[in-house]
Amino acid sequence: MLIPYLTVGAILFALGLIGFVTRRNLIVMFLCTELMFQGIVINLVAFGRYPLSGQPMLDGQVFSLFLLAVAASEAALALALVVLLFRYKGTLDAGAWNMLRDD
Amino acid sequence: MAILMIIAVAIGGVGLYLAMPRGRTRAGAAPLVVLAAAAAVLIGLLITKVAGHSTAGWFVPLSIIGIVAGLRVVTHRKPVYSALYFILVVIAVAGLLLLMDAEFLAMALVMIYAGAILVTYVFVIMLAQQTGESSYDAQAREPFLAILAGFVLLGTIGSKLFQSTAGEVVTDPVGPTAGFDDNVVHVGTLLLTQYAVGVELAGVLLLAAMVGAIAIARRKALDEPEGDIV
Repeated sequence: MLIPYLTVGAILFALGLIGFVTRRNLIVMFLCTELMFQGIVINLVAFGRYPLSGQPMLDGQVFSLFLLAVAASEAALALALVVLLFRYKGTLDAGAWNMLRDD
Repeated sequence: MAILMIIAVAIGGVGLYLAMPRGRTRAGAAPLVVLAAAAAVLIGLLITKVAGHSTAGWFVPLSIIGIVAGLRVVTHRKPVYSALYFILVVIAVAGLLLLMDAEFLAMALVMIYAGAILVTYVFVIMLAQQTGESSYDAQAREPFLAILAGFVLLGTIGSKLFQSTAGEVVTDPVGPTAGFDDNVVHVGTLLLTQYAVGVELAGVLLLAAMVGAIAIARRKALDEPEGDIV
C-alpha cells in the first residue's frame, strides 16, 4: 500500500508546482504552495505507516504536525505580504513586480 | 507498469495544458475528455496496486477526488473557487490520513487548513480581489514549460515508484502504534517526550510569524518613512 499513497502525494506535489509557476495571481500562487504541502503530508504519513522494514512508526505524523505549524506561519507571512503588495500597486498580478528580476 | 504510469502522466499533462486558462477562448469539453482518459489509466494502475486491500474501496475515490480538486485549484479562473476546491483537497487528504490510521493528524489538518488557513485566504481574496474576472487570472504564464517541468518530475518519480516492488504486501504491517486505538495517546507521548524541543521551536516560529505578519501588514503606504505605521 505504500506505492499508491506515494503516487497520490507526488501528483498533488506536481500539480502544486505547475500551479505555482503558471498562475499569475499572487494569492493562487501561495494556495498552490499549500497544495504541495498536502502532497508532502501524504508522503510523510505513508512512509510512517508502511515502512520498508520494521514496524510502523508515528514519526511521520509528528513531522506532519510540525509541517502544519510551518504552513500556518508561511500563510500568515505570505498573505501579509500580498496585502502590502496589493496596497502598493492595486493589483494582484505577479508580473507587476517583475522589476525585481535580473535583466 | 512504469510505462503505463508515464503514459498516464503524459496524457494528464496534455489535458492540463488544454485546461489552463488562456485568454478569452474557452476550452470546452476537450480537456475534460483528455483528463478523463488520464484518470482512467491512473485508476487502473492504482487498482492493480491496491486490489485485495481492505481500504481499497475508500482509497481510490478519495485520491481521485483529491487529484481532481487539485486540478481545479490550478486551472480555475476565479481565486475564490480555487480556494474552495482547495478545501476539497484538504478533506480528501484527511480521508486518506484516516485510512492510514492517523486520526489526530486528519482532524488537525481539517481544523487548521480548512478552518484557519483557508479562512485567511478567503478574507485576503475578498480584501484584494477586483470585481469580475481579471486579465491576469484568465491567462496562464508559460503553461507549456511549466507542464513540461511537472511532466519530467512526475514521470521520473512515478515510473520509479511503479518499477519498485517495495511495500507490495497486501496485509498491513502491525505494530504497537498501528491500528485504530490510542493514536492520540501515542502521538501526544511522542510529541512531548522525543520531540519536546521541536514543539517549543514550533511555538517560537509561530510567534515570530505572527509578529512579522502584523508588522508587515500594518505598514501604510509607499513613500512613508520606515517605522511610520498606521
